Amino acid sequence: MNRTMLAAVAMLCLGTGCASMGVEPWERDVLAKAEMQLTTDELEAATDDHIYFSKEASSGGRGFGGGGCGCN
Amino acid sequence: MSAKNHRSISLILAGASCTLLGAGAPTKAVAEEASAWDFNTSLLYYGEDGDRVKDFSVSAIAKRMFVDDRYLTLGLTVDGLTGATPSGAIRQDVPQTFTRPSGNAAYTVPAGVLPLDDTFKDTRVAINGSWQQPLGESGLINLGASASREYDYMHLGVNARYARDFNRRNTTVSAGIALSMDSLDPVGGAPIPLTPMLDVGDTSNRLGDQDKDVFDVVFGVTQVLSRNLVVQANYSYSMSDGYLTDPYKVLSLVDGTTGDTLLRTPTPGVEGPSHQFLFESRPDERTKHSIYGQAKYFMNGKVLDASYRYMTDDWEIDSHTVDLRYRIPFGEQRYVEPHLRFYTQTEAEFYRLSLPDTEPLPAFASADYRLGNFDAITVGLKYGWRTRSDDEWSIRLEAYRQTGTVPSSQVIGNQASRDNYPDLNAIIVQVGYRF
Repeated sequence: MNRTMLAAVAMLCLGTGCASMGVEPWERDVLAKAEMQLTTDELEAATDDHIYFSKEASSGGRGFGGGGCGCN
Repeated sequence: MSAKNHRSISLILAGASCTLLGAGAPTKAVAEEASAWDFNTSLLYYGEDGDRVKDFSVSAIAKRMFVDDRYLTLGLTVDGLTGATPSGAIRQDVPQTFTRPSGNAAYTVPAGVLPLDDTFKDTRVAINGSWQQPLGESGLINLGASASREYDYMHLGVNARYARDFNRRNTTVSAGIALSMDSLDPVGGAPIPLTPMLDVGDTSNRLGDQDKDVFDVVFGVTQVLSRNLVVQANYSYSMSDGYLTDPYKVLSLVDGTTGDTLLRTPTPGVEGPSHQFLFESRPDERTKHSIYGQAKYFMNGKVLDASYRYMTDDWEIDSHTVDLRYRIPFGEQRYVEPHLRFYTQTEAEFYRLSLPDTEPLPAFASADYRLGNFDAITVGLKYGWRTRSDDEWSIRLEAYRQTGTVPSSQVIGNQASRDNYPDLNAIIVQVGYRF
């Protein structure tokens, strides 16, 4: 059901609302800054994902949850 | 001059231009390639209080840009882990003796102390690589592979992600898939779930290697809302299949009235457990669903990064995570970034503090504190600066604290007067250098 909902939201977004949202290509000065990227530091993000994967029962969200360690 | 001559001269000039350009091109390409690698490196110290886990880690990501927006990314992480981790057994008012996971020796925990398994020492090496390139006019594809090796664990994984832009690149829709094939070779062999911890030298309840597969799918939408605001929403599905039990975790078998762990007498002349402990047991399947939302907002030079994740799974664990970062620049080259993270989770349906002898054994049971009911908070501060040669340094210091509670229905007799949940305090220090 979650997937269906997401698909519906995406379709709605693409078909209507979001088409008028956003900026023109020449208005991307701020969005192009390194600190405005969704992940500013891949290594720090990977470190945090690994720490919390080892210590909590949740993982992923931003990207893949995956396996990858027999963490204690 | 005739038209034909004009044409010949044009061709000769064109040819000469090509030769010149051709001769010049490699020099330019070499110059571009020489600076095309970007490195992101870090040193990490993660340390839990008491005698618990410590991790020293070195990581590097190297990114090579090729023409036409194609990227090769290579990553390497080496972790050195030491320390002790809660075994799952509860505290007692008397000393407790345990057989080590290897089955080759025993160790004793003093009265009133939380039993920790102190044999934990490992080196983990992880590598990954990915290739990203445009696909069609507004598409992007990324193909990756990963592998890691620990003394008792091996991981192999592949992943793929496709993203496509719409609406003047203001909307990006993406889909990704990842497959992980892991194998475990626990020290001393994987114990048969819910069988007792045996005397030193008795390995009759140990199995061979075990496997675990994880299948992940992520769908995402990223939307630019204004010149200063971009948001992202992801849905993730994750299915794990195979040996999901922690081979080193046990549960205490207790008296149904007093809550004290039942005594046990080792075979004469042999060291062995002083009390009755059973190896834990988890289902061999787990399905997780997550919803993740993130917003980045630029406010007059400052950047707010806020995210939220909700996760639910068929082990009946629900969790909420809120992560806030606020980057404040000062001067042209420096910034500080406070960080706050809040996390809360409910316990797995098979989480048990202990197993009372008055009830039949359940099919699944684990006293692993990570499957319990707890809250966690992270408070951190990062400081970063850019050098004259445009390299970037950063250092962050964070404190992580977990506080948990055991459902009161699971606390039996004397257990009520003991501290049953192993609270966790850790610090994280990470130094980063990008060049």
